[in-house]
Amino acid sequence: MSLEIDHVTKRFGTTTALDRLTFEVGRGEVFGFLGANGAGKTTTMRICLGIIRPDSGEIRWAGQAAAVLPRRTWGYLPEERGLYPRMGVLDQLVYFGSLYGEPPDRARREARAWLTRFRILDYADRRAEELSKGNQQKVQFIAAVLHEPEVLLMDEPFTGLDPVNLVLLRDAFTELRDRGRTLIFSTHQMEAAEALCESVAIVDLGRVVAGGRVRDLKRASGRRTLRVVLGGDPAPHWLESLPGVATVARDAIGADLDLLSTADPDAILAAILGHGASVTRFDLAEPSLEALFIEHVGRAPDDELAVSTDRGTASVTAGGFA
Amino acid sequence: MRRRDPLLPNAGIIARREYRDRTRSPLFIVSTILLAVLAMMVAIAPIGVRLIDRQSVSRLVVISSDAELGTRALAVAESLLNSPPAGVDLATWQRPYQLEIGSDPETTEALLSRGLVAGIMLVERQANGGVDVRLRTAEGPTSARSQILSVAAFGVGVLDWSSRVPSGALAPFVTPTYTVESINTATDGGAPLDIRQAASRYLLGIVFVILLLISIIIYGMWVATGVASEKSSRVMELMISAASPRQMLAGKVVGIGSAGLTQYAMIALPALILLAFQDRIASALLGPDWISGAPLGGLTAGLLLGYGLFFLLGFALFALIYAAMGSFVSRPDDLQTLSLPLSLVAMAGYLIAIVALGGGSGTIVTLASLLPPFSPFVMLARVMVSAVEPWELVLSIGLLIAAIGVVAVIATRMYAAGVLLYGQRPGLRAFVTAARRA
Repeated sequence: MSLEIDHVTKRFGTTTALDRLTFEVGRGEVFGFLGANGAGKTTTMRICLGIIRPDSGEIRWAGQAAAVLPRRTWGYLPEERGLYPRMGVLDQLVYFGSLYGEPPDRARREARAWLTRFRILDYADRRAEELSKGNQQKVQFIAAVLHEPEVLLMDEPFTGLDPVNLVLLRDAFTELRDRGRTLIFSTHQMEAAEALCESVAIVDLGRVVAGGRVRDLKRASGRRTLRVVLGGDPAPHWLESLPGVATVARDAIGADLDLLSTADPDAILAAILGHGASVTRFDLAEPSLEALFIEHVGRAPDDELAVSTDRGTASVTAGGFA
Repeated sequence: MRRRDPLLPNAGIIARREYRDRTRSPLFIVSTILLAVLAMMVAIAPIGVRLIDRQSVSRLVVISSDAELGTRALAVAESLLNSPPAGVDLATWQRPYQLEIGSDPETTEALLSRGLVAGIMLVERQANGGVDVRLRTAEGPTSARSQILSVAAFGVGVLDWSSRVPSGALAPFVTPTYTVESINTATDGGAPLDIRQAASRYLLGIVFVILLLISIIIYGMWVATGVASEKSSRVMELMISAASPRQMLAGKVVGIGSAGLTQYAMIALPALILLAFQDRIASALLGPDWISGAPLGGLTAGLLLGYGLFFLLGFALFALIYAAMGSFVSRPDDLQTLSLPLSLVAMAGYLIAIVALGGGSGTIVTLASLLPPFSPFVMLARVMVSAVEPWELVLSIGLLIAAIGVVAVIATRMYAAGVLLYGQRPGLRAFVTAARRA
């Protein structure tokens, strides 16, 4: 049982938002949908939900077309956060639960359990507008999961959360995954994706440029990073001339050396010692998800595209939803 | 194949939230109280009019080609209409009627149509010797004044007969003929209305049509603002995954429409209670000798039902368009400009309705009473003051329901496209594209 995004194409006027987008997410996986603004993440999620229709291709869950599945199959946390400002938090959650077919009593019970878990039960009877942005975001997350959807789609779920709330949300992800739910989220925050995702799809301009299990992607890249911290001068000028080093990223403590696939770590260590430097840290690691992203997309995930097609989606869309 | 979400239960859940949200707002409560007080004042206004009318002098003009007959008729009418009630102080008592002989029928007729003269008594002798009395008035034949003048006509006949027949001679008495010609166009099922009823219906008609206009524009804007607020607060993003546009649109229109109906009931109920007790209130204010039998209000259950029906249908039609408009703006502020054309359409319906209330029955009035979106206003006005053929009423309501069906389909498409539209000023092209493609 899996979610299949099968050659989905969607155009808005002259802009191609999705170009034969194809990837698969296994049931019970936490999946990272990585891409810069305008890569087509929101459009893909909206097609999953049946809000907009693809020009071609199909999205299937457990072999069935997504467009015919009941709404409660999906939970959706949109990127644009919003609640009814003057409505009570608990009333609001029961309302959304009821729309997804939850009996009010059960929705109320579940909502209280989630509010307790997110440490905001005291706000249950407050108006949404009285809550901080972070707390409103948690309420929105609860609204998306209250009906226990099989697939949870989340657009930038970590944006705007402080570190404490970030941990609370990550723990909730893990628990939902353990309960057999499939979680798909888009994010700019590569550390979060690295910590949570088993698989990812890196998308650029509506196409998957790399995808699969994170471990496999890292291995396949052939790239390694060497973290070097030296005594005395933390990042001397001769680091670039070491054998097999492609690039050097310096910081206040040391430097990250991006190695060529042919590089020999022993030869590098010998060369450093040959310069008379004392080595306090020499740490060989697989490339970060961010490095992989840059390798495949050619820029960092939070670099804006010249034309933001996701915003374009919102402003030119005329596709109705079911 | 596409998912086809049934309208219920989600439309019901959305309607319930909308209803609660509106009816619990302080603005709703304050405006309901204010309007209820206003409606009570309107309900009691006819009694006030009567109170003022009682103290005024009505002018009656007698016209006859036979000067002697005319003078005789004037004397009889004078003795019947201007006899002081028992027990009044004659020094301060004012005669309620000013009677005079008129010479030019055309000038007098003009005065009658302008309301400066209450009635014209046309008195003529017939070929058979009898007297013919015609009362031209804006009132109906059942009005108290018309009834008194029928007695006067008989009196004129008797006096005329006795003055013409020589003493001791035998001549048959020919009963005088008496007819009331009402110049009033207001009718009820084809029968002319009494002037008080007609005035009351006219007044009620204006009140009803204004109420309809205000409620359609205010409650319609509630719908539009509701949709626009959901967009601007971005809660729409959550809603679109939880409910279909059809469910959202129906829920909004039904929920806010019900809130409007609740307000209407709360405004109308105290006014109706006042109307139910109008006889007692009138007796208390006007004294026990006030002329009973003439209805003060002219308000019937049928008319109230008619108002309720046209409110429901008219609101449904306009609210659907308002909702589609609301989905095309990103901020509620932008609605003012966008909703202006629709408010103007409603205003046009209102103006034609006012013409219909004034007795207008031209092609435009008839057509507008049949065709949406004007029919809720104009047909309501026509029903208030004039005879409407049953087929006209059925056709008008039928066309209105059909229009609601068509508008619902188009509005749902526009809504579906509009709710995802951000940061773009909506133009006509955007509406058309949305309606066609969605």
